[in-house]
Amino acid sequence: MHVVRHLPEPKRPRGTGASRRGFLRRALAAGGAAAVAPVVIPSSALGLDGAVPPSERIIVGGIGIGRRGEYDLGCFLEQPDVQFVAVCDVKQERRSAVKQIVDKHHGTPDCATYREADELLGRDDIDAVLIATGPNWHGAMAMAAAKAGKDVYCEKPCTKNIVESLILLDTMRRCGTIFQAGTQRRNLPHFAFACELARTGRLGTMKRVYAHPAGMTAKTSGWLPEEPAPDPAVADWDAYLGPAAWRPFNSGTLKDGFNFEKGGGLVGGGVLEWGSHCVDLCQWAVNDCPPPVEYDPPRDGEIVTRYADGVELVFREKGWIPLGSCPVRFEGDAGWVEAGDSGKLVLSSPALLAGRTVEEIGGYPATFHVRDFLDCVRTRSQPKGNAEAAARAHIACHAANIAIFLGRTVRFDNATNRFLDDDEANRLRSEALREPWRI
Amino acid sequence: MTLTHLRPTLGVVAILLVACAAAIHGPGVRAAEPTAKEQELLAVLRSDAPEADKAITCKYLAVYGSSAAVADLAKLLGNPHLASWARIPLEVIPGPEADSALRAAAGSLGGRALVGVINSIGVRGDATAVPMLEGRLKDGDAEVAAAAAAALGRIGTPAAGKALAAALGTATDRDEVAQACVVCAEKLAAAGDAAGAIVLCDAVRKADVSEQRRAEASRGAVLARGAEGVPLVVELLRSPAPRLFNMGLFTARELGTVPGRNEALAAAADRMLIDEVAALRRDGNEVRGAMVIAALADRGGAGASAAASADPIRKALIETARTGPRAMRMASVAALGRVGDASVVGPLLEVAATADCAPAVRQALAALGDPEADAEIRRRLAGANETVLPMLVGIVGDRRIAAVAEIVPLVEHRSADVRSAALEALGAVVDLANLDVLIRAIAPSAPGGGSDAERAIATKALTEASIRMEDREACAAKLTGALAAAAPPQRLVLLDTLGEVGGTRALEALAAAAASSDEAQQDAATRLLGKWMTADAAPVLLGLSQPDAPPRYRTRALRGYLRIARQFVLPDAERAAMCRRALAAATEEVDRKAVLEILKRYPGMATLEVAREAAKVPGLEADATAVVREIEQKIAKPAT
Repeated sequence: MHVVRHLPEPKRPRGTGASRRGFLRRALAAGGAAAVAPVVIPSSALGLDGAVPPSERIIVGGIGIGRRGEYDLGCFLEQPDVQFVAVCDVKQERRSAVKQIVDKHHGTPDCATYREADELLGRDDIDAVLIATGPNWHGAMAMAAAKAGKDVYCEKPCTKNIVESLILLDTMRRCGTIFQAGTQRRNLPHFAFACELARTGRLGTMKRVYAHPAGMTAKTSGWLPEEPAPDPAVADWDAYLGPAAWRPFNSGTLKDGFNFEKGGGLVGGGVLEWGSHCVDLCQWAVNDCPPPVEYDPPRDGEIVTRYADGVELVFREKGWIPLGSCPVRFEGDAGWVEAGDSGKLVLSSPALLAGRTVEEIGGYPATFHVRDFLDCVRTRSQPKGNAEAAARAHIACHAANIAIFLGRTVRFDNATNRFLDDDEANRLRSEALREPWRI
Repeated sequence: MTLTHLRPTLGVVAILLVACAAAIHGPGVRAAEPTAKEQELLAVLRSDAPEADKAITCKYLAVYGSSAAVADLAKLLGNPHLASWARIPLEVIPGPEADSALRAAAGSLGGRALVGVINSIGVRGDATAVPMLEGRLKDGDAEVAAAAAAALGRIGTPAAGKALAAALGTATDRDEVAQACVVCAEKLAAAGDAAGAIVLCDAVRKADVSEQRRAEASRGAVLARGAEGVPLVVELLRSPAPRLFNMGLFTARELGTVPGRNEALAAAADRMLIDEVAALRRDGNEVRGAMVIAALADRGGAGASAAASADPIRKALIETARTGPRAMRMASVAALGRVGDASVVGPLLEVAATADCAPAVRQALAALGDPEADAEIRRRLAGANETVLPMLVGIVGDRRIAAVAEIVPLVEHRSADVRSAALEALGAVVDLANLDVLIRAIAPSAPGGGSDAERAIATKALTEASIRMEDREACAAKLTGALAAAAPPQRLVLLDTLGEVGGTRALEALAAAAASSDEAQQDAATRLLGKWMTADAAPVLLGLSQPDAPPRYRTRALRGYLRIARQFVLPDAERAAMCRRALAAATEEVDRKAVLEILKRYPGMATLEVAREAAKVPGLEADATAVVREIEQKIAKPAT
């Protein structure tokens, strides 16, 4: 294995003699020691349009860049003010592949590769990180990065349970982090337009918002038979497991990073996987209010949930107008709109378009979301998929999953973030992290 | 219950769910006595079952376990494979038994296992563990000491805070302790002990810790102080350290909104930021000034009661937009687009007229949320000079203001810039009654004596307007009505536009054009019919592929017909009939084979019949026979 280490060892917190690996554990709990803040001069404020001098570029590192991560990486590399400098992955193959992409793009051999995230997070020069690991690591790694002083673009689902969602929000606020969940549909014009119709009252008083869950089952990642573990330099199984409960090495589990420990085990599945997009849009349509307070178990392909004001959020498997994947529908007493990944909208009345055409509203490109993040890294404004919005949408998905698992209606109190009179549901709000990890 | 090999499949979960179903009696706090289900799960833990079985059993005990399960789970805390699984229920089982078990384990374990146990104690918020954790702050194992600090932070009691504050000056890893201090301070503040929170945060601010930790503590100190924390934000905003400045911006955005809305604090924060903008302007620090303006705009744009404090913000922004350094002017203009109302239209237009930020002004005016701004912009159209007029007209289009009456005459304005802006705006706002204005504008003899560039703008506007019309048939009627008198290039534009509009009348017009003697019209019409979006173009295209149709585009028409047969949702019989007709009309082998491909793509009795007919066509026998066989295989019923 060849691990590129162009840079000196990252600075350590004063007085510690701990190992490099120990740094991330502490970062998860207490933070790194990066001394240089990710402050970047707003080139737009200086009127520097177009070419961006190196001194003004946002320095970005990637953690866990797989198939989805490569798409995100492409969106970052398209931006003229991004300098991608490092990648961290538990798999040597991925480290090499991403380095190749980045080096080819920048025309330099400078993309550093790391097996251990603490090394990347310890680099003072990195302003922001792209986290596209499997869902097992999303939340914990995002918080580690924030504590190390990095801004964070984190793929979804961002959290495994309700408590992790709340801690994620607290951590991002505490650290002053610019956090963007990988909920890129928030920056797609046609979805944004549909949400705006709902938010601004043009559909009348909102009655119901619909999200596509892509499955309503509870899943567990389980424990596959033990196989001989590879050299950690090739595939670091312990780091891959990270905060997930221990289990022996299995190549199938290693390959299934996309699904491994999504939602923490007993609860997860499509409601979280797709809901973190569709429910997120529904949340936006209702002004990003606190999540629903009541969740029914699935019945006839629907999970009906209710917000405090009586508006229903419905997870619906079927009955969609064929507008592509990730559809949403918003219904008010004066109209409705439905949108999907095709980039199209269907509305109850053309008048809702207010003189625009569906074509000119448009649906892509998805790079808008990355651009939104980078702009906010510069201005310190909150991006569209910010931590509060993400936390609320994820909590709604987790609570729906708990209703699925328990097979009964559960009621959630947004003031205490606990279920009302339901000890079993409350026990599913969180899950212990494997030692030594913590958030 | 026998738990065998566990795999990440629904099957395993289903087995367990069935086994657990008896335990789900509905909401309620679990009784101290173990249920039958819990006993069954405990039996797995006590057996020699494989580790995998015990692991998943732990997860179910997290939901269904009681204090009766604690002892068995605690036995696993030293097991490197199962400790993480055992802590899942131990973190959530209610009652003091789990706390006691974890504290006891902390006394006997070391290394990673101890770190895990301490983490769980922190999650449970076990205040009785504070003395033990305080001792662990000095543990020789840095991981253990760090875990103890974090646990104390999560416990968040005054005693925990005191232990952390004492360790801040002496700990091996002060950054760990500092982070825990801030977490602890948040918990104290949430519990009403703002003074305790301030003491902890201030201690971290003064400690020899990283800048990131000091930034976090500064935020904590501000939020705990409330209005008295505002000067501390100023201190952050004036810090030469970028990280502290950033935290100042972050905290400034939160003030008065986190936690909960506080109007007085929000107003104080607004005033402070307005003063900072002025100070940064005086100092010539335009980059930071622009960033503070962005924060001010974020505050003014957020919150239901923003209106009350918006006036002084707008005033400050207008002043900076007029006379500030460039970066601050640009930032102020953008900010006004977010927090402004109709009253900023005039000042923004002044800025556009005298400065180099006209595009930014147009963006800001387009973004203004106040509907009254529309009337203000309309009012200003009348008296605007030629310098401002193109921008104002452009804004009419951007905002979709129904000012058609004011815009239409400008199509004949003496200024080319105004004419172009008017044409572009009409694309966005013109109604059906005035669509003729755009139809005339695409003619060589356009009213303004327009250039090619203006005609190009008009063409784009006509398309945009036509596909926007609610009554597309009426729109098509207007366009069709103009065809006869149109000059040849204008006619082609009209045909293209009809192609975009679609519908019955447009289809008739294109059919007529395709059958005309004008080759340019034939070309345009057959091209447009070839990408028609509804199946009603099929008979037209078939007709155009017949021997009596104009010869040059027969093949193109047939291929358009085949496209409909191949791509559209059609009844089986109709698709088969289309294939039959296409086969008869096709003169080239490639088209006959395309028919066979369609038959193969939609296997059924109707297409099979056509394929069999094709097998009799000279030259097509072999290919068609192969398709017949393929369809037969696909539609053959499985043997019973």
